[in-house]
Amino acid sequence: MKSLSAKSFRTITITAVVLVVMIGYVTRSELGNLSALGWGLITAICPLGFLETMLASKTLIPQALISFIVIVIVVIVFGKFFCAWICPTALIQRILPKRSKKKETANISEAADYADDCGTNSNVVNKQLHLAEACKGKHKNIKLDSRHMVLGGTLLSSALFGFPVFCLVCPVGLSFATLLVIMRLFTNGEATFTVLLFPAILILELIVFRKWCTKICPLGACVSLLSGLNRFFRPHIDDNKCLVTAENKECYRCSKACNVEKINLRFPSKSGGSMNDCSKCRECSDSCPTNAIKFPFLPKNLEREKPVLPTKHFSTKNE
Amino acid sequence: MKAQLGFTRRTFAIGVTGVLALLGLGGASRLVQEKPLTRPPGGQDEDDFIGACLRCEKCLEVCPAQVIVPATVEAGFLNTRTPTMNFKLGWCDYCKDYNGGSPKCVDVCPTAALKLAVDSTPENTIIGKAYIVKDWCLGWQGKGCRICLEQCPYDAITTDEYSRIRVKYDACNGCGRCEFVCVSLMSGSYTPGATDRAITIKPTQIVDFLLANEVNG
Ligand code: SF4
Ligand code: SF4
Ligand code: SF4
Ligand code: SF4
Ligand code: SF4
Repeated sequence: MKSLSAKSFRTITITAVVLVVMIGYVTRSELGNLSALGWGLITAICPLGFLETMLASKTLIPQALISFIVIVIVVIVFGKFFCAWICPTALIQRILPKRSKKKETANISEAADYADDCGTNSNVVNKQLHLAEACKGKHKNIKLDSRHMVLGGTLLSSALFGFPVFCLVCPVGLSFATLLVIMRLFTNGEATFTVLLFPAILILELIVFRKWCTKICPLGACVSLLSGLNRFFRPHIDDNKCLVTAENKECYRCSKACNVEKINLRFPSKSGGSMNDCSKCRECSDSCPTNAIKFPFLPKNLEREKPVLPTKHFSTKNE
Repeated sequence: MKAQLGFTRRTFAIGVTGVLALLGLGGASRLVQEKPLTRPPGGQDEDDFIGACLRCEKCLEVCPAQVIVPATVEAGFLNTRTPTMNFKLGWCDYCKDYNGGSPKCVDVCPTAALKLAVDSTPENTIIGKAYIVKDWCLGWQGKGCRICLEQCPYDAITTDEYSRIRVKYDACNGCGRCEFVCVSLMSGSYTPGATDRAITIKPTQIVDFLLANEVNG
C-alpha cells in the first residue's frame, strides 16, 4: 500500500482543525478558533494578536503573556510547522483556482536555473565536482524580507491607532469568520454584506496575490523570527543515500520540491530561502527517490561523526 | 549571479506597500465615524475595548443566552466582527442562570477587551438604555400592553399619570429583556410604519441624543 503523501496529510490536519473549530462552535464547547484556541488558562492566543493588542491597549494581560511564552517554546521545538500543517490559508490556496499556471511553472524553471547554475560546466567530471562542492556549504539561518517589514508595520499601526489593525484583514481570522458568518446565515438568517466581503478580501489576499505567505504575512514573519531558534526536526539529507553524494549522479528533486519556501536543501548556496522558514511540510522528503531526507529530532551533524570513529577504534583494537 | 539577499528591489517595494496599506487602513478606520454599538458586559469603555478586541468571537460562542452577535460590515469596517448585542435573540442576565452571576463573556475574553471592575454589578454595568418609540408602542396606543413592564428584572419600566409606558432612565442597564419580549411587531399587533420593536436597547449616547431631541417629552 502506498503511504499517503505529505500533501494529503497536510490537507487532513488542516481540515481537521477547521472541523474541530466548527464542531466546537456548533456544540458550544467554548473552544474558540485559532485566534484564541482552548479553555481558560490553557488557551493559545495568536502571538501576533497578543503583540498587537498589547501595543494598542498598552496593557499586559498576564494570561496572554503566558500563552505567548508557551507558543515561543513550541515554535523553538517544532519550528514553523503552523504554516504547513494548521494554517487554513494553505488549504484555501490549494482548493481555490490558481490565478494562472504561468507563475507555477516559473517557480519550477527558477529551480531548474539553480540546477543549471550548479552544473554550468559541460565537462562531466567538473560538473560532478561542482555538484559535490555545492552540496557542502551552510544554510542561512534567517532571512529578513518584506514580511518582516509588514510585521513592523503591523505593530506600528496598532500602537499608533490604538487597535489591532492587521486583525481586520488577517486571512486566518477571516477564514473562520467567513465560516461563522455563513453558519449564522443559515441558523439565524442574518443576511449581511459581510458574507460577500470576507471571501472577497480572502480572494484578494490569497489568490490575486498568491505570494501572501512568503512576501506579506506578518504572522508568518513573527513565527519565522522565533523559529530561527529552532534546531529540532530540521530536514537532513543522509549523504550515504543521496544520489548526488553517494552515486555522483545529478538530482534536483528536493531542490525543486520546496515550492513555497524555496529552500534548496541539497545545494545550500543556491537556496532561495533560509532554514528558519522551513515549515516541515515534508515535500522535499516526499520527492526524494532514495528516501534520503529525514526530520530527526536532533541535528544530525554530531551523530554523523560518532558512528565512524568508534567503529574504527574498535576494529583496530580487535586485531 | 542571482541575488540571494532577502531584500531585492521588488521585495522592498512589497514591504513598503504592505506597511503603507496597514497604516492607511488604521488611519482610515479611525477617521470614519463609526456607529456606536451595544457591547457585552465589560466592553463599555469603547477605546479600551476596540484596542484589545482580537475579534476572536469567543465571547459570542460562550454566551449562554446567545445574545452576542458579530457586528457586520454595515456597522463600519472597524466594528466588523466585534461583539455586539442582538436582543431579538435573547437578553443578558449577567449569566445569573448559567454561571452564578459571573459573566462568561468576560471570563473567556483572552485579551481582557471585556473586563469588569471588582465592584461591578449588573446594575452599574450599563450595556445601553431602553428607548420607546411611542407611535409603535401598544401600551401608548391604549391597547393595554404591559409586557415589558412586567418582565423588566430591574423595575426600570413604569407608567406615568396617564398610564403610559415610561422607562426609568437611571434604573435601566440595557439588559434587553424588554426588547426581547416586546410584542409590538408580532402578527396581529402590527403597528403601521414600524420598522423595529417599540422598545429597543441602544447605546447610551444615542438614547441621550434621542431624548434630548424629543419634542413633547
Ligand atoms: S525544506 Fe522541505 S520540509 Fe522544509 S519547507 Fe521546504 S519542502 Fe517543506
Ligand atoms: S532528492 Fe534525494 S537523492 Fe535527489 S538530491 Fe535530494 S536528497 Fe539527493
Ligand atoms: S453576561 Fe452572560 S448572558 Fe450577558 S452577554 Fe455575557 S455571556 Fe451573555
Ligand atoms: S472574546 Fe474578547 S477579544 Fe474575543 S471577540 Fe469577544 S471581546 Fe473580542
Ligand atoms: S428597561 Fe429593558 S433593558 Fe432596561 S433594565 Fe428593564 S428590561 Fe432591561
